[in-house]
Amino acid sequence: MRRPSPRTALLLLVLTLLGSVIGTSGQSTPPSTRAGEWPHYTADLRGTKYSPLDQIDARNFNQLEVAWRFKTDSLGTRPEYKLEGTPLMVGGTLYTTGGTRRSVVALDAQSGELLWVHRYPEGARGAAAPRQLSGRGVAYWTDGRGDERILYVTPGYRLIALNAKTGVPLPSFGKGGVVDLKVGVVYGDGKPIDLEKGEIGLHSTPTVVKDTIIVGSSMKEGMTIETHNNTKGLVRAFDARTGKLQWTFNTIPRPGEPGNDTWLSGSWAVNGNTGVWTQITVDEELGLVYLPVESPSSDYYGGKRPGNNLYGESLVCVDLKTGQRKWHFQLVHHPIWDHDISSAPILLDVTIDGKPRKLVAQPSKQTFLYVFDRVTGEPVWPIVETPVPPGDVPGEWYAPTQPIPTRPMPYGRPGLKIPDEVIDFTPELRAQAMENLKHYKWGGNFPFSGTLYNPPIVGNVNGLLGAINLGNAAGGTNWPGAGADPETGIVYAQANLSAFTPESVAPPPAGFSDLPYQAGVVGQPFRLRVAAGTGTYADVRQSAAAETPAPAAAGAAQPAFNTVEGLSLVKPPYGVLSAIDLRSGELKWQVPHGDTPDVVRNHPKLKGLTIPKTGQGGSVGVLVTKTLVVAGDPLVTTTPQHPRGAMMRAYDKQTGQEVGAVWMPAPVSGSPMTYRVGGRQYIVIAVSGGNYSGEYIAFALPASAGQTSTRE
Amino acid sequence: MRRAALATACLAGMVLGLEAADPSVWDGVYTAEQTRRGETAYLQTCASCHGTALEGGDMTPPLVGGAFTSNWNDLTVGDLFDRIRTTMPLDNPGRLSRTQTADVIAFVLKANNWPAGPTELPADSALKQIRIAAVKPPSQEQ
Repeated sequence: MRRPSPRTALLLLVLTLLGSVIGTSGQSTPPSTRAGEWPHYTADLRGTKYSPLDQIDARNFNQLEVAWRFKTDSLGTRPEYKLEGTPLMVGGTLYTTGGTRRSVVALDAQSGELLWVHRYPEGARGAAAPRQLSGRGVAYWTDGRGDERILYVTPGYRLIALNAKTGVPLPSFGKGGVVDLKVGVVYGDGKPIDLEKGEIGLHSTPTVVKDTIIVGSSMKEGMTIETHNNTKGLVRAFDARTGKLQWTFNTIPRPGEPGNDTWLSGSWAVNGNTGVWTQITVDEELGLVYLPVESPSSDYYGGKRPGNNLYGESLVCVDLKTGQRKWHFQLVHHPIWDHDISSAPILLDVTIDGKPRKLVAQPSKQTFLYVFDRVTGEPVWPIVETPVPPGDVPGEWYAPTQPIPTRPMPYGRPGLKIPDEVIDFTPELRAQAMENLKHYKWGGNFPFSGTLYNPPIVGNVNGLLGAINLGNAAGGTNWPGAGADPETGIVYAQANLSAFTPESVAPPPAGFSDLPYQAGVVGQPFRLRVAAGTGTYADVRQSAAAETPAPAAAGAAQPAFNTVEGLSLVKPPYGVLSAIDLRSGELKWQVPHGDTPDVVRNHPKLKGLTIPKTGQGGSVGVLVTKTLVVAGDPLVTTTPQHPRGAMMRAYDKQTGQEVGAVWMPAPVSGSPMTYRVGGRQYIVIAVSGGNYSGEYIAFALPASAGQTSTRE
Repeated sequence: MRRAALATACLAGMVLGLEAADPSVWDGVYTAEQTRRGETAYLQTCASCHGTALEGGDMTPPLVGGAFTSNWNDLTVGDLFDRIRTTMPLDNPGRLSRTQTADVIAFVLKANNWPAGPTELPADSALKQIRIAAVKPPSQEQ
C-alpha cells in the first residue's frame, strides 16, 4: 500500500474531523422516509404520504398492538375532542401538536415518553382565532449541522421556531422565536387587520423546503359572515434561519396583477377570504410550489363579487424563490358551493403513452382527480368547459361554464343521480326518500344528474328547502387528503359519497351582515356556522349558567327531510377507498371503506335483508407503505366482530382487498403516519370524537415477533 | 384461595347487579314536561348549529337518527352530559346549567323516539348508569 502524501493525510484528517463533527452534532443528510423517518406532514414535500417501510404487511397487520399512547387532555384548559395532528418523526423523536392551546410536544418515538412541551398562551387573541383546535402538526428544519428546529403556527397566527432538542423558542428567529404573521395581512384595498381581533389563522402545518418556510392562511367559516370585505388570503415565505419575509403571494390579485380583472366592478377591493388552509406541496428540484386555494367570501353567495374571482378555488403554481405565479387552473369559476381545494396536491413522475411526465394531481370534494403537467399547467387529459344552468338568487352572478375532467373518471359521486342513487333497501324506503327529495331542487340536465354545480336557491320552509348537492361542503376528499405511490404512479384516495347537502341562502337577521343573502332558509331561525372547535381555545372563558334565558328562537323543532328513518337518502356505498392509476387514468380498484354503520345493521326496517358492506361517510386520511394502504374508520360501530370502537384497516395496494384491521377506541380524527426506530416499524394515528378526547396511539408488532430492540 | 373465591363472587355479584339494575334509554328515563323545558333551551342554545330539526349542518353532527344513535351507542347518558358540559355550546362552553343540560338531553332523547317516563332525567352521577342503546334490548321487544 502506498503511504499517503502529507497533503493527502492532512485532507483525510480534516475530512475525518468534519465527519465526526457532523456525526455528533446532528444529521448530515436531510431526514427522509427512506431512512424510516416522516419529516413532513405528508411524509415528503410531494404530498404522497408514502413510506417504503415494509415490516408491517398483510401477513402480520392483525398482530399489531398498542406500543404506547399519548393523551392530550392536559395540553390546555379543557380536553379536545377533535385531534387532527399527524406527527413528524426525525432522528428517533416524534413532534406534534395537541390540546386546546395547540401545544407542541416532543415524544420518544420508541416509548412515547414526553420529552418536552411548549405552550404559548395567546389570551384574547387565541380566543378570537377563526381556526382553533390543536392543528395538524408541525414542520421541521435543519441546517444539517446540528441546528434543528420545529416550526408551527399558533391559533392566533404566530409562526414560532423552537429548538427541536429542548422546545425552547429560538431567539435568533423573528422576535424571541416568534414571527407575528398578522403583520402585513390586509382587508379591503390594503388596510391592515387588527393584530388582536383581526380575522386570520391556520391549522395546517407550515411547509419547509430548503431554507424556506411557506405559510398559508385561513379565515372564519364562510357560510355565515358579518362582512364580505373580510381578511384577504395570502401565502408567504420566510427565511428558516431568521424568520425574515422572503415573498408574498396575494390570492386575490391586486390592480396590475394578472387575474385582477376577474373581479368585476373593482370587487377585488371589497372581498376577502381565498385562503390556502390546507397543506402546500413543493417540487424542490423544479423550484415550484403548488397552492390549493379555497373559496372567496361568502361560501354560498357571491353577489358582491361578480366575475370568476381568481384565484378562488384554483390550483396555483408559484416560483419557490420569488412567489411569482407560473401558472394556475381554476377548478370552479365564481365559487358558490364551498368546494374549496381541500387537500394537498400530489406530485408524481409517471410515464404516459411512452412519455415521462411530471404530474400534479389534485384530489377534490367533487371526487374529480384533476391532473396537470406540473411544469406547464396543461391538463394531461382534456378538462372541458361545460355549460351549467344559472340560478335565480337576486343579485348573484353565475359562471356560464365549469371545467369537467374527462379522465380519470370521478372516484366518487360528484352528484346524486335521482332516482338511481337514492336509497333502495326496500321499496317503502325508496318511496319515502323520493317524497323527502321533493322538498329540494334537483337541478337540470347536466352530467351527474344536475346536482353537481346545482346553484343555491333562496330556500323557504314553505317551499323548497335547498338545492341538492353532494359532497360540496363535506364530501369527497377533504383535508386529510389522498396519498400515492411514487414508484407506480397510483393515487389512493378515500372519499365520502353520502354528504347530502341541500344549499340555500336567505337574508340574514337585520344588522348581522352586509350581505343580502347567506347560508340559511327563509322561515327557519338563523344559524351561525362556525368552524369546528371555535370557542374551545384554552383561554376562552367559561361563564356561569345563564341566569336569564335568551329570547326564544322563532318556531319549534321542525321535521327533517335530509334522512329517511334515520338512514341516508343516498344509496351505499357511503364511503370508498379508491386506487387511480395515473399511467392510464383508470380507476384500478374501489372498495367500501369502514364497517356498515350500526344504524343500518340494526335497523328494524332492514331486518332479514342481506346488505353488503356499505362503508362509512366522513373524511379520513391514508398512509401508503411498500405494500399496504392504511386508513381508519371515521365512525364507531359495535359489531359481532368487535366491541364499540373503530377499526384501522390495511388494504392490499394492488387489489384493494382488506388484509387486516386493528381496533381503536374512537374514530380516527387525524391522518396516520409511520416510521421505524430500533428496528421496529410503528404506525401512529390520532383518534377522538364523541366522548373520547384526543389521543395519539402508536401501533407496532409485538417485540417478540423477531424484532430487535436496539436503538438506531 | 379464599380471597380469590371472594373476589370472584363479588365480581359475579357486580355483574349480576348491573344486569338487573342497569337502565337504558328505553326505560322511560325522562318526563314529557322536562322535554318542553329542554326544547326551549335547545332552540335558544343549540339549534343555531345543530338545526331546529336536530338534523345537523355542514359543520355540525345531527342529534337525531342513525348517525347520532350509532355515535353514542353503548355509552351512557352521563358521557353525553359530560361532553356537552365540557364543550357546548361552542361559543360559551358550560353556559347551560347542569339541570338545563339534563333538560336538553331529555329533548334529544324524545327526538330519537326513546320513551318518556314518570321521573325526570337527573343531573347527577346517576346519569352514568343510564345506557344509550340504539336498538331496543330483545327483552323489551313486544
